[in-house]
Amino acid sequence: MNTIVAQLQRQFQDYIVSLYQQGYLDNQFSELRKLQDEGTPDFVAEVVSLFFDDCAKLISNMSRSLPDNVDFKQVDSGVHQLKGSSSSIGARRVKNVCIAFKECCDVQNREGCLQQVDYEYKMLKTKLQDLFNLEQQILQAGGKIPQVDIN
Amino acid sequence: MTVEQNFEALDQFPIGMRVLAVDDDQTCLRILESLLRHCQYNVTTTNQAQKALELLRENKNKFDLVISDVDMPDMDGFKLLELVGLEMDLPVIMLSAHSDPKYVMKGVTHGACDYLLKPVRIEELKNIWQHVVRKNRGSNNGEKRDGSGNEGVGNSDQNSGRANRKRKDQYNEDEDEERDDNDDSSAAKKQRVVWTVELHKKFVAAVNQLGYEKAMPKKILDLMNVEKLTRENVASHLQKFRLYLKRISGVTNQQAIMANSDLHFLQMSSSLNGLDSFHHRPIPVGPGQFHGGAPPMRPFPSNGILGRLNTPSGIGVRNLSSPPAGMFLQNQTDLGKFHHVSSSLPLNHSDGGNILQGLPMPLEFDQLQANNNNNNNNNNNIRNMNNNKSIAGSSMAFPSFSTHQNSLIRAPNNNLVVLDGHPQASPPGFPGHQNNKRLEHWSNAVSSSTLPPPQTSNSIHHQFDVSPLPHSRPDPLEWNNVSSSYSIPFCDSASTMSPQALDTPNPGAFSRNTDFNSNANANAQPGGFYDSLQMRQSGNYGPTTDAMLSTNPKEGFVVGQQKLQSGGFMSADAGSLDDIVNSTMKQEQSQGELSGGDLGYGGFSSLRTCI
Repeated sequence: MNTIVAQLQRQFQDYIVSLYQQGYLDNQFSELRKLQDEGTPDFVAEVVSLFFDDCAKLISNMSRSLPDNVDFKQVDSGVHQLKGSSSSIGARRVKNVCIAFKECCDVQNREGCLQQVDYEYKMLKTKLQDLFNLEQQILQAGGKIPQVDIN
Repeated sequence: MTVEQNFEALDQFPIGMRVLAVDDDQTCLRILESLLRHCQYNVTTTNQAQKALELLRENKNKFDLVISDVDMPDMDGFKLLELVGLEMDLPVIMLSAHSDPKYVMKGVTHGACDYLLKPVRIEELKNIWQHVVRKNRGSNNGEKRDGSGNEGVGNSDQNSGRANRKRKDQYNEDEDEERDDNDDSSAAKKQRVVWTVELHKKFVAAVNQLGYEKAMPKKILDLMNVEKLTRENVASHLQKFRLYLKRISGVTNQQAIMANSDLHFLQMSSSLNGLDSFHHRPIPVGPGQFHGGAPPMRPFPSNGILGRLNTPSGIGVRNLSSPPAGMFLQNQTDLGKFHHVSSSLPLNHSDGGNILQGLPMPLEFDQLQANNNNNNNNNNNIRNMNNNKSIAGSSMAFPSFSTHQNSLIRAPNNNLVVLDGHPQASPPGFPGHQNNKRLEHWSNAVSSSTLPPPQTSNSIHHQFDVSPLPHSRPDPLEWNNVSSSYSIPFCDSASTMSPQALDTPNPGAFSRNTDFNSNANANAQPGGFYDSLQMRQSGNYGPTTDAMLSTNPKEGFVVGQQKLQSGGFMSADAGSLDDIVNSTMKQEQSQGELSGGDLGYGGFSSLRTCI
């Protein structure tokens, strides 16, 4: 049991470090993890899922209005919001593509950029899902989630 | 949190500081909430700006600080910022993912205490309590410590304490009194300046003299030559005043601006303090207290206005009635402003001196009130200030201001300005009521012997070019125009004005008629005022008000009330006014609580004059 837990923990650690290294997550995410405690054990998971919901909603809104070129304002505000929320949870790559998207908008290349945003958030979603699964496994095996220090 | 808990929290400030977080992005809101909780603050969240305003208006004392996102779908964050600042005088921190300095500048000019960029870090949030302390210090001049908190904590504690206390004994004027007593210079910490009509007049005069564009706090301070007034006080008052002017200049209803500017301003400020401006009363009267949110408050559109009054920009109107009057309890600071504002408000600040001229009333009012209320008001204001944070109605006030303009404009003298705001905002029924209130103020103001000759009013009107109010006519005391809640002439507005105060803060005030007599003084605080007001309406002006006055030294309103009664109110179109008042009263009554504070309008001695 212990070895399993230890194994899982190690896996978890490695995985999360890799996410940081690949730029999927940044410091903000670790701050978020620090906010999680006994009182709010699912805090990070909740916030992250809220974020993904927002992503899906915003992206779909934006893609709807893009082709018609009708509501630039909405697109801009949508990407702005996405930028804010992604930076708040530490979704670094998502945030970066949002910033790029804003610039694309300036040069009228909205659609292309939006696809990137879509891609990144889905990618992150998959990765974080894996991470949470690992967490769950650890907990179920009776272990504790390791506090990973990201440098 | 219970009151007791609140008190405890206060002692541990900043722990337990009550924050209202507003952000339409649920992810960010959730994170913000968690961060704030980790700082050990007491957090309330909402993702709608409108809801936030309602919460704030509902109870001014419920929150110490507001954090709001800039980009929100239902309301621009800057607008919310302005409204909160004016109506409730709470520190507001802006949050945004926009790092563009333009936005930061906008935040600052709209009165934000701070501008944070997303992602927000917990370190930044750990220090936001300083804004609460700072604000309290700046706005309270000579506020005295209630002895509740630690000096160290500063106003925030005191305010909180006060707020708590208020909650505990809502209608307990005693606390306020205690606090008020010392306000003079006891607390070095927070010196909350009560912007009485007189003070505000001086302020306006100074601004006019220097030229609105060129008016700098230091110079204004020098010109005003008021002891114990600091440059910071002037600066903050100036800021509010500017915001107020900006706001009203945007108002389509010029009239309102004109007439109401002063009143309006004061009202607004006061509303900030807690709409009490009219009778705001610091009284936590109840849920309805906050005019803004509560329906009863509605009629008192001026909530915003009143609130404003309280704010530095507060139009002198508030003060008119008698800052000391319980009404202002909360908005003491505003009270002063209120009065002054009226004078300064005139849209034509370019006129410089004109502004003042325009509002003879305020002066009068000041005098009138100064006597009675100064002390009371100060105390009250201070208290109110704190408590009034939640100017519920205030936010409305502003917008309503424009709409109401009518009533306001009328009162060239004073406070009518304020009234206008209200009447419009408030439901038709109320306007009358509000007007009454205003009138009361007016009457108070007017009644003061020193009332300047009507002429001035005329001039005022002219000055206020902006508002084509019919009332602009020379007759400053157009009390008789009661009929038009809208543009209630000075007198009328007085009546309306008061209602405003009444309406918003305590719709119940009116209903308190009965209470009035019994409580008249005492705790009537919120209600007392109303009661008196109500009484007035019912024609019991004479005795009641007097009684009220005497009994509630604290209550500014009492003073005001008297005025009302004797003042023009009665005499002025007693009939019409009465009708209005009665109608408003009824409304208020139905509404409930708030009324308590309204009566306090403090001094609408103007009513008297009307008569």
